[in-house]
Amino acid sequence: MDPELINDCVHCGFCLPTCPTYVLWGEEMDSPRGRIHLMKQHVEGTPITPEMAGHFDACLGCMACVTACPSGVRYDRLIEQTRVAVERRHEREPQERAVRGIVFALFPYPRRLRLLRPTMWLAERMAPFLAKAHPSLGAMAALAPRVEHRQRLPRLVRARGGRRAVVGMLTGCVQGEFFPQVNAATARVLALEGCDVVIPPGQGCCGALSVHSGRDDQARRLARRTVRTFERAGVDTVVVNAAGCGSSMKEYGELLGREPGFRVVDLSEYLAELGPAAKRHPLPVTVAYHDACHLAHAQGVRAQPRELLRGIPGLEVREIPESAICCGSAGTYNMFQPQAARDLGDRKAAAVATTGAELLVSANPGCTMQIAAATRRAGSEIRVAHVAEVLDASLRGVRLSERSERPNKHGSVLTGPTEEGQ
Amino acid sequence: MEPFSGVTVRQAGADDAVGGVQPRWVALPETVEEVSAVLRDCAERDLAVVPAGGGTKLHWGLPPERCDVLLDMCCMNAVLEHAAGDLVVRAQAGVTMDALAGVLAEKGQELALDPPFAEHTTVGGTLATAAAGPRSFRYGTARDLLIGITVVLPDGTIARSGGKVVKNVAGYDLGKLFTGSQGTLGVIAEATFRLHPLPAESRWVVAPLPSGDALARVTASQAEPSAVEIDCPGGAEGADATVAVLVEGSAAEARALELREVLGDGTITAERPEWWGLILRDDVLLELRFPPARALEALAAAGEAGFAFRGSAATGRAYLEGSEEELAAVTGLRARVEALGGRLHVLAAPETGVDRWGQVSGLPLMRRVKERFDPGRRMSPGRFVGGI
Amino acid sequence: MLETLTAALRSLLPHDAVITDPVRLRTYECDGLTYHRATPGVVVLPDTAEQVARVVRVCNDFGVPFVARGSGTGLSGGALPREDGVLIVTSKMRRILEIDLANRRAVVEPGVTNLAITEAVRDRGHYYAPDPSSQQVCSIGGNVAENSGGAHCLKYGFTVNHVEACEIVTPDGDLVTLDRMDPGYDLLGAFIGSEGTLGIATKITVRLCRTPEAVTTVLAAFESIEQGGQAVSAIIGAGIVPAAIEMMDALAIEAAEAAVACAYPKGAGAVLIVELDGPSAEVERQFAQLEEICSDAFELRVAASAEERAAIWKGRKSAFAAVGRISPAYIVQDGVVPRTSLPGVLAAIDRLSEEHGIRVANVFHAGDGNLHPLVLFDDAEEGAGERAEVVSGAILDLCIENGGSITGEHGVGVDKSRYMPKMFSADDLDTMQLVRCAFDPRGLSNPGKVFPTPRLCGEVPGVRKGVHPLVESGKAEQF
Repeated sequence: MDPELINDCVHCGFCLPTCPTYVLWGEEMDSPRGRIHLMKQHVEGTPITPEMAGHFDACLGCMACVTACPSGVRYDRLIEQTRVAVERRHEREPQERAVRGIVFALFPYPRRLRLLRPTMWLAERMAPFLAKAHPSLGAMAALAPRVEHRQRLPRLVRARGGRRAVVGMLTGCVQGEFFPQVNAATARVLALEGCDVVIPPGQGCCGALSVHSGRDDQARRLARRTVRTFERAGVDTVVVNAAGCGSSMKEYGELLGREPGFRVVDLSEYLAELGPAAKRHPLPVTVAYHDACHLAHAQGVRAQPRELLRGIPGLEVREIPESAICCGSAGTYNMFQPQAARDLGDRKAAAVATTGAELLVSANPGCTMQIAAATRRAGSEIRVAHVAEVLDASLRGVRLSERSERPNKHGSVLTGPTEEGQ
Repeated sequence: MEPFSGVTVRQAGADDAVGGVQPRWVALPETVEEVSAVLRDCAERDLAVVPAGGGTKLHWGLPPERCDVLLDMCCMNAVLEHAAGDLVVRAQAGVTMDALAGVLAEKGQELALDPPFAEHTTVGGTLATAAAGPRSFRYGTARDLLIGITVVLPDGTIARSGGKVVKNVAGYDLGKLFTGSQGTLGVIAEATFRLHPLPAESRWVVAPLPSGDALARVTASQAEPSAVEIDCPGGAEGADATVAVLVEGSAAEARALELREVLGDGTITAERPEWWGLILRDDVLLELRFPPARALEALAAAGEAGFAFRGSAATGRAYLEGSEEELAAVTGLRARVEALGGRLHVLAAPETGVDRWGQVSGLPLMRRVKERFDPGRRMSPGRFVGGI
Repeated sequence: MLETLTAALRSLLPHDAVITDPVRLRTYECDGLTYHRATPGVVVLPDTAEQVARVVRVCNDFGVPFVARGSGTGLSGGALPREDGVLIVTSKMRRILEIDLANRRAVVEPGVTNLAITEAVRDRGHYYAPDPSSQQVCSIGGNVAENSGGAHCLKYGFTVNHVEACEIVTPDGDLVTLDRMDPGYDLLGAFIGSEGTLGIATKITVRLCRTPEAVTTVLAAFESIEQGGQAVSAIIGAGIVPAAIEMMDALAIEAAEAAVACAYPKGAGAVLIVELDGPSAEVERQFAQLEEICSDAFELRVAASAEERAAIWKGRKSAFAAVGRISPAYIVQDGVVPRTSLPGVLAAIDRLSEEHGIRVANVFHAGDGNLHPLVLFDDAEEGAGERAEVVSGAILDLCIENGGSITGEHGVGVDKSRYMPKMFSADDLDTMQLVRCAFDPRGLSNPGKVFPTPRLCGEVPGVRKGVHPLVESGKAEQF
């Protein structure tokens, strides 16, 4: 933990109301200002106590405080450094260690996740039993989405109309395995907007989950592999459709000590920059747009997705109250801090409900999973979609696929006008 | 006779009686130091003191338990400093509100209080009684415009609080404490106020009493009225009630038209209605407080109890005028008003044993404040709430 | 003693509402003023007024002092804890209990943030007027304690002008309602701004204002502070009462630029933010006058939308914390001078700055003469902190000399209590103590704040029972 970075904090407290755990509990120790104070205590010689570690662990890493801070405190970097210190120096309870072990042995590895997929339908039924064993296991199971048929993406999707650019595309681990239709939609949208989309096979996790949990060795290993993959593919821009991945990949320079040979952009950021070329067909739907923390706070991408959505004729975008507060998903958070995640999810679901929108759109699969689960707990349903899916439907002039918490199974990856042979 | 060191004193007469209690002397101090000297002497000799300004409201409240000296502030009538560039004025307590207004108007400014009896009432008297006028809706009451005060405590101590800047949070605000204290804590000697520029124009929209809904919309209008007053000289149900809405500032005429639209009727005039902000009879005078949305119910209740009603539908504060006959209705009226979320207290009445104030949550604390400031119970003893 | 007290507290409050872990306690060691620190003996996080009252009664039973804290954003150390006492944090009490637009009132708990009130009623055409720069985080209970102002208090006044009633827990643990409607002494007026020394507000009824029909926000850039100052005088002289007149000097602009990229005009020696609000017709006329008055400005921007308005304010509202970008350490000062003395005082601050080699950035509410000089220094440099303290103190002396005040809105707290005797006589302070003694004869409620010397209240009526040890040792005075 860098004392210089700690000293940048002037204790003004502007971060407090944006911090999800402070919003929940109202306690100084569970606010960014309080956590920085704890870091300071540690730097000044206090060992990491279980209480201290608990407050660091409770941080969702949503980075809303970074946006709110007028003094420019790099809380994002501070908490990452802190998590590394906690992992190294703090001995966790055995049960907690076991759960963390499972998560980090599983999620960053698409192949292992794939093995899990056939069991997903079971997960929901198992959830109450798993919860008895450990709340985290229950949470993990309750969140599990019904998965669509695995869809193989081609190595290259050619631009439709004139080619305007060539981009690489990250398929990601969770996104690729649990939400393959989002990747398919992303590829189609990019192609329809005039991009050759290069999708290197054999991509793994970008390392985001590990970075956010203080597992820096694992993070560096995964990052290096991802960099190598895209450098070999020879693209100078990599488009990412998962907010958590995008924010971590944008920080590869800091993690690896060298800038990768390509630029990382979020899908909506890239599309806004490129400007619309393809025709938008009307989609008469009211949409509540949810700011994924790793997009809004970590990458500062707020206006672009809204702009893209508003560009669709007939679509109405509604703002969600308390939009800066995290939904509680936060990567692995809903697995390690199930109660807090649940409370935040409920709060967010209630906020979303006030908009009266028919469809919840976000740029992060974790968020939509989380909010949909909370909405269902409240006894209601909301359809969810990724920005890419909404654009895809509009560009192709088809109806939005009926995906709510229980997605329908539908056709292969590149059905419709953009289908490309491999 | 010269009972007090160097301060002009005269023997009191029957005209000097306060609520029927005749003092022995009337002291006429000319400076803060002289006020202090009188009070010090009174403290040594255990004499009870009642301060007086223009005497317009001296019969309000209960008669004092005892009164040896009437402290007549009439000679402290200097406007000490008018810092026009700072929109601030400092004046001695004996300056009448009209005289002060005259001085301020020379520089195009005003103290935006419009208390009743402005011709005779003084700065000190206005503060001590916290008497409010129609425009308090926009500008607040005396305590909101007071930014500094000099008081003399019963033992002669001279104390100041606040200052001559509008923005100031250093120390306790004794000004607030003394405003409305009815002379029971000490003597207000000097006061400093924040000022406003005189409004460019003023217009009144005068109309028959509209529906409660129209009244609410006028009050909340973005045309920003400065006051919304109801006058109902008598009779139940407010049948003869009039509403007058004041608009001040630039474009007053256009804004007045907007408000008349909401009222659905009315005349627009640059002359204030003759009853505006006045107290016409105060042998029996009540102050009625009510949530603004319940104005018409409060008005009806007052009318049924036989009182004339004049006051603000916007701030929920009105004077009720009546005669001794209506005094019997006070307890019943109070119950009705409290059910509306309001309050009723008797400002002035002959002593008949009626409960003047009703329930006051802070009374024990008020007694403790009184004990600290006036442990000998020599300042207007027994005149105020709970016999303080 | 604290251990038995803690046990008593635990029996009254939910388990996690009593904090005793030393690491956790330390996170409460200071509020927004980090210069003064003290680890509280115990921290409690009550959820209801009744719990606050119980805690205060326990403190009375044990004769232990207590300090109230809201969001901990105060800049005078008003919520500095006592090592031998209990810190009562109201941050869990943040429910908006009632919104009554027909009567333009809202009833809220003390931990509700200032901005949350406005957000709750904004789309229904109302707002809560006082707007301290920290409004998104500061609590309404803290606002009541400090009588907070804000940029718009020039026209709309302070917290005290916008609070209709407070339920308070008195220093001896009673729940009492102070209401402007009640007859009797204006104890509500005395309570607001008493910095937690007269008790703890547990429920606050605030007045809501109607959203003005028109708001025009203007940013005027001047080559120098003098020109900006002249414009301010001219605006007031023309009989305009804007909702706000704010000024920032070149150094403050630089900081705000670094922090929030507010894009104020380049090369400005001073910027003036003037906000006019009210009925459209009135605002239009005043704006025409304003344009004429600001003819010296080299650039005049008018916000055309809510976003542009927010962009203009963003630089100003983040100015304090933003100074962290251009200086390793700084002191935020808060003083007031009569508006007409501003030019002279600013020149004198310039001289002080040069004399001591300490940079001073100026941000101020120009309309009411409330200065916020930011005294910049490098805490790594030997003696710089001391020199900054000297400059900071000398600025307050300037304020007093010019008939102003040592604090316009941040409060006296622990930071400025030593300046109180410069501004007030011993008699003035003794008289204020009478109020204190009426509310808190045992001196348990936030002792050591506001007033320079601890004083003892004595019995009523004034019979002294021997000499108190503190008096004998010269640490306290009796009156």
